Amino acid sequence: MDVSLFHPQSGDFAAITGFTLTDAHQSVTSHANGLASEPVHGTTVIAVKFKDGVLTVGDRRATGGNAIMYDKAEKVLALDDTMLMAISGAFSKAIEFVRFLRHSFKYYERSQLQSLSLDGKLNEIGRMMAGNLGGAMSGGLVIPVIAVYDQKQAKGRIFFYDAAGARFENLEYAAAGSGSVQIRGAFEYIVRTKGNFSEMTLETALAEALHLLEIAADLDSATGGAGKVLPLARTVTAAGVTEISDDAIRVALGASTTTATSI
Amino acid sequence: MSYNFYDFQNAIQQRNDYVDDQLRDGSPVVGISCPDGIVLFTLRGSQRKLFEVYERIAYGAMGRQSDVESIRIAAIDSAHREGFQRSEDDVCLSRLVGFGISPAVKQVYNDQRAVPLTIRALFAELHDSPADDVFCTLNYDGEYRISKGSAVITGVRSADEVAKDILKTAAPSTRDEAIQVAAKVWAHAYNAMRHARKPGGDVDDNGVRLTPAAAFKGALEKGQILEAALLTRSTSKTSRFECCTPETVSAAVANLDLG
Repeated sequence: MDVSLFHPQSGDFAAITGFTLTDAHQSVTSHANGLASEPVHGTTVIAVKFKDGVLTVGDRRATGGNAIMYDKAEKVLALDDTMLMAISGAFSKAIEFVRFLRHSFKYYERSQLQSLSLDGKLNEIGRMMAGNLGGAMSGGLVIPVIAVYDQKQAKGRIFFYDAAGARFENLEYAAAGSGSVQIRGAFEYIVRTKGNFSEMTLETALAEALHLLEIAADLDSATGGAGKVLPLARTVTAAGVTEISDDAIRVALGASTTTATSI
Repeated sequence: MSYNFYDFQNAIQQRNDYVDDQLRDGSPVVGISCPDGIVLFTLRGSQRKLFEVYERIAYGAMGRQSDVESIRIAAIDSAHREGFQRSEDDVCLSRLVGFGISPAVKQVYNDQRAVPLTIRALFAELHDSPADDVFCTLNYDGEYRISKGSAVITGVRSADEVAKDILKTAAPSTRDEAIQVAAKVWAHAYNAMRHARKPGGDVDDNGVRLTPAAAFKGALEKGQILEAALLTRSTSKTSRFECCTPETVSAAVANLDLG
């Protein structure tokens, strides 16, 4: 029997699993399947602050090139009780990120008998992004938006990363994915005309975020609208991660959606 | 130097005597199912004795703290490796202990050049209903037993029997009731361990034979700390394991009937 069971690894989950992303990247063509010539990508995700924390919404579409591969993709995922990861980009890599990070954070907490600090978690995500740089260069790019509730500062915070793992903190909002470019200016318009997201109620912030997602869906073919499958919305607050019900989303969509479009 | 069959038996007996002697003064650990989940209970000195291993698996132990930690980390490593490389659904107690921890403990026990692990451990695995919950007790020689409903580890065999007799008829309906039952089991088992230490039984300063209530009270007066944890069946959090607060445990055992 393996007596190496008795050689603990000080909370380093990658060390006990041998997990590495740098060896895992593959070229675009190796992901090809009968329906699409490119790997499956998740599209638009949005995070906005509200007065109790951070709200994150994502459409449900996953595409492969021009093909719609899946319309029920979950792109807003809890890493633990204080952190949400909204994913855009290569879906397979993103899901692997989430699985690894969930296990890694829990492993640290269970083995070290304390939670990994917020900075420690964010550094771990940065390391993972940097480790995936080779994969990103060959079609496996993942751009996550991280929504957290910082218990020390008693407020919600939003972070995003570039492909090399550099971390940035956003003051009010963040978006990623193919539809995020089209709605970037609209975020600023809302902040300048209606005030900061961080001062809004959840209902108001939800209506604004869903409105932005609908605009993205109108202007970006890879982003799914709410017409077929409702978006996914989750909040992270001092109380933890909460999923917004479909009914609440329908109410917010009713409050936000106008069918008029200039295109 | 020749090494015959009797030397072998003698060596085994000496190892058993050495570890049993260390465990005789330990604090029992009790695990019991209820509709709310699985409660683990013990009294401890300074270090924690009840831990989360994986999503539905918890662990408690008595023995030398360094050995308690070795088994804890080994179980956590093994469970997380399996859960990540396969699936969380593939992590189960019978495989974890039966094919992972137990053989490794046995190997240490068999190594005549190594000091055997001074430990007796209790693992609990939560399922959707109390009837399906699984418990596993592991001995320092690698032997393990799987049971349903409840389990207990103590320092001596006679205390095991006393504890199991009480657990046989217990059916707590809430977390607090489960803590009460577990505290009662602990008191009776600890009392039995104290009597087992002295021929004719243990007595207090006035020469009166010790009772479970006196043993329980005496342990608290000597600075032992109540410790309980719940593997909850229902939660919105990412972890099912909750350490009960000292206030919760104290309130649950405040009017304990140890008769």
